Amino acid sequence: MKDINIVIEICGSAGEGTISAGEILSRFMSGQGFEIMSFDSYPAEIRGFGKCVAHTRISTSRIYSPGKLADVLIALNDKHSIFQLSTLKENGILIYDSQPVRPHKEDKSVVGWTKPGMISYGIPLNMLAHKATGNARGMNMVALGALAALFYVDKHGFTDSIKARYAKKKQIVIDSNVNSFLEGYSWTKKNIKKIDPYSFKGITSPKQKEKLIINGNQLVAKAALDANLSFYAGYPITPATKIMEILSRELPKHGGILLQTEDEISAIGAVIGAGFGGKRAMTATSGPGFALMTEFTGLSVMAEVPAVIIDSQRAGPSTGMPTKTEQSDFNSAVSGGTGDCPRIVLAPTDTKSCYEATVLALYLAEKYQTLVVLLLDFFLSNSIRNINIPEKPFSEYLDANIAPDKNDLKDYQRYKITKNGISPRAIPGTPGGMFFSTGLEHDASGRPNYSEAGHLEMTQKRFRKFNTVLSEAPAPEISIIDRDEFDIGVISWGSSAGAAHEAAMSAQKKGINASSFSSMMVSPFPEKALIEFADKCKKILIPELNFSGQFANFATQILKRHVERLNFITGRPMASEDILQKMKEM
Amino acid sequence: MEVIRSAYLDEKLETVRGIDFLQYRSADLPTWCPGCGYFGIVDAFYKACRELDLKHENIVTVSGIGCSGRTPIFINSYGFHTLHGRSIPVASGLKLAREDLTVFAIAGDGDALGIGGGHLPHVARKNINITFLLFDNSIYGLTKGQSSSTTPYEMRTNSHPAGNPDTPLNPIKLALSYGASFVARGYAGDPQGLKQIIKEATLHQGFSFIQILTPCVTFDKENKTWKNLNEKVYELNRRKEEKNMETAMRMAENEPYGVGIFFQDKERLHYQEILRNLNKAD
Repeated sequence: MKDINIVIEICGSAGEGTISAGEILSRFMSGQGFEIMSFDSYPAEIRGFGKCVAHTRISTSRIYSPGKLADVLIALNDKHSIFQLSTLKENGILIYDSQPVRPHKEDKSVVGWTKPGMISYGIPLNMLAHKATGNARGMNMVALGALAALFYVDKHGFTDSIKARYAKKKQIVIDSNVNSFLEGYSWTKKNIKKIDPYSFKGITSPKQKEKLIINGNQLVAKAALDANLSFYAGYPITPATKIMEILSRELPKHGGILLQTEDEISAIGAVIGAGFGGKRAMTATSGPGFALMTEFTGLSVMAEVPAVIIDSQRAGPSTGMPTKTEQSDFNSAVSGGTGDCPRIVLAPTDTKSCYEATVLALYLAEKYQTLVVLLLDFFLSNSIRNINIPEKPFSEYLDANIAPDKNDLKDYQRYKITKNGISPRAIPGTPGGMFFSTGLEHDASGRPNYSEAGHLEMTQKRFRKFNTVLSEAPAPEISIIDRDEFDIGVISWGSSAGAAHEAAMSAQKKGINASSFSSMMVSPFPEKALIEFADKCKKILIPELNFSGQFANFATQILKRHVERLNFITGRPMASEDILQKMKEM
Repeated sequence: MEVIRSAYLDEKLETVRGIDFLQYRSADLPTWCPGCGYFGIVDAFYKACRELDLKHENIVTVSGIGCSGRTPIFINSYGFHTLHGRSIPVASGLKLAREDLTVFAIAGDGDALGIGGGHLPHVARKNINITFLLFDNSIYGLTKGQSSSTTPYEMRTNSHPAGNPDTPLNPIKLALSYGASFVARGYAGDPQGLKQIIKEATLHQGFSFIQILTPCVTFDKENKTWKNLNEKVYELNRRKEEKNMETAMRMAENEPYGVGIFFQDKERLHYQEILRNLNKAD
C-alpha cells in the first residue's frame, strides 16, 4: 500500500462555497478511510467579500498538525488566491480559472504570480459552472470535479458525498451541484495532461470503524451531555458560540436547561448558582468574556462551589482578532483574578482530547468543589478531525460529589478541615445540612472569620485539594521515552502540542535526537514529570502561540534553567515545520 | 403605623404569644447597627416563612454585598453570600437548576440598581420564579455613607458633601417597565404588612419584586429616617385591579411612600413553564 500525505487548500471569496467544498472534500476522504484534519479561515464579517480558505490535510497515517504549506491550491477567486500562493509549496499545484467572466490583465490572474517549479492547471471553472447550471454558483463543485479527475479519485463516491451534503435541500440544488462536479470532472479528464506525481489510484485504507467527523466545539458539547451536564448559561462570543447553540438544541432533550444571559458575568453567576444547587453546570466563552467572568472565579474557589468555564482563546488583548487563533489566555486562566486563588486548568492538546478534558472538567469541578477552566482556542474549536466515536465516561465520573454522612450532619461544618482539603458538601434540600456560604474568608462553619490563623488554615485547605487533583491528572504525552538523553526536548501545551510532537518525530528522522512533552493539565502542573523529562534534555524548546512566552515563563520557574522560545502571533495554528527549523538552528 | 416589634428585641414577648417563627432565626446575632431597619425586614421574613410553613432545608437566600448581604447568615436555612450586585444571576441559576427550592435574592439599592443594575431587566422579562427583596435605604452603608442610585437629588452624603448631583431612580417604575410580574413596596417599620407582601410574593409564580423602604440610622440623618418614614408611609388603596399597568405606573410616579402591591400578573407563565411549553412544541 502506498502512503499519501497531502494538503489541499481551497481559496475563495465569502459566499463562493469555499467552506462547503472543503467540508465535502474532507467528509469524502474520511469515508475513504483516510485521516483528515481540516481548518477553515474566514473573515469576521458575515457578508462581504473577505477571503475564505478551506485547508484540508489528508493522510494515510496519524495527523498531528494541519501542515503549514499546501500541496494543492484551488483558486476560486484570483484576488484572494494571489495572497494565498505564499503558502503553496515550491513544487505545489495550482488549479485556477482559465476563463474568468471578467477578462483581466495577465497580472491580475493568480497564475501570473506562480513561481517556477509550481504546476498550474487552468480549468474554465466559471464557464463550466454556467454550462452545468446556468450560473457561477457551481464553481466550487467544478473545481472538486477537476481535483477528482486529476488525482484519480473515485468519481461515484465523491458524487455520493455531494448528494449527502445537500440531502436536506431541494432536488434542483442537489442536481446542480452534482452536474457541476461531473462537468469539471469530464472536462479535466479530456483536456488536461497530468504532469504532477499525486495520485489516489490504488491507495486503499483499511476499512475502519465508523468515524465521527467533528470539531472541538461539537465534541465539547457532546462530552458535556455524556457527562451529565444539566445546566448551561452563556453569552454569544466567537469562537465559543457554537457550544451554546448545540446545547440549546440538545440539553432540553436531556432534561437540562440552557440560559442565554445578558452578559458573561451573569452567565458564570448562574453556573455557580446551579452548582450550589448540586447540578453540573458550565459556560463557554472567549478572552473578553473570560475577563468579565474573572469577577466570579474567585467566588467559586472561595465558597467551594463547582463551576466549569470553557475559554476558547482568540488572538490579541481586548476585542483582538476574533477569528484568529492564539494561546494568550494562559496567564489569565492560571492566575487571573484576586488573591491566592488555586484553580484547575485543562488544555486539551488535540480534537480528540477535548472529549476527555470536558468529562474530566465536570468531574473534577464537582469532586473538588472548585473552578475548572478548560482552554481551547479558535483552532481547536473549529478544526475538523475524523475520530473514533469516544467511549462514554465510566460511572464514577458521572457522580462525584462527596456528600456528608450521618456523622458529618450531626454538627455539620460545610468547610470542615480535612486531610485532602475536600469537605463533604451538602446540597440544598438536605435536612440538617444547612449552611451559609460566602466569598468572605470564613471558618469551618462558613461564618465570616478574618483571623490570621483562620485565613492561613483555609488558604492551606484550598491549596491542599490540589495535591490530590494532581493524582488524577492524565499522564503527560511524551513522544520518545525509552532513552536517557536527548539533545533537544520540546515542551508544549494546548493546540501547539500536535505540531511539537510531530516536529520531534521528524527531527529524529533528520538525525536530531529529540523528544517532546505535553500535559493536558496545566494547573496544577505535573511538575515532577516535567523536571524528569527536562533533566534528560540538553536543550529545551518551548513553542507557543503568544508574544511574551506565557507558558515558557511559567515553565522556567519550575525548571529554573534557560529555555529556548519560539513564539508566533500570526493568527494561524502552530506548524511543525517552523519548530523543526528552530530545532535545526539550536 | 405599628411600632416595630423585632424578633431580636421582643423575643420574650413573641415566645409568650406562642409564635414560633423564631425557628427561622439562626443562632448568629446580626452585625447591623442598633435601630437598623433591617431588623424589621428579617422579622417580617421569619414570620412569612412560618406562616407559609416553608421547610428550612428548601429555602435558599442569595445575597450580594453590603449591609443587606449579611442577611442569609441570620436565617436558619441554606444561604449564599455572593458578589456585589450579583445575587440575581446566582439565584436565577439556582432556581432554574433546582425548581423544588424556594429561592430569595436579596440586594441593597447600590447592589441591585447600581453595580448589578444590568441584571434586573433580564430576570424580570424572563420571569424567573424567584422573590427579590430590595433593601432600599438610599445610601451605601457598609462603605460609610456614599450616594447610591436612589439617594435623593441634592442630599448631602460622604461622596457628595455639597449635595448629590444625580437624579434618583424609581425602583417601582423600573420593575414595572422591565416587565416584572409582581411589583410591590413594603416598609421595614411595618413588619406585619411586609410579612403579608413577602408571603404573596413567595406564592406568586414568577419574578416578584419588592422594594423595601428602610432607614440607615447611621449615615442618613435627613431622608429615610424612622421619623420621616413613620410620618410618610401609608398603605396603598389597591387590591382588586392589580393587573393594570397604567394605574400602577401612575401610582409608582405619584406615591413614593405608598406600600402594598402595585402590580401582579397571575396568568403569565414563569420561565421554566415557558421553556417546557416551547420544548414540547418543538
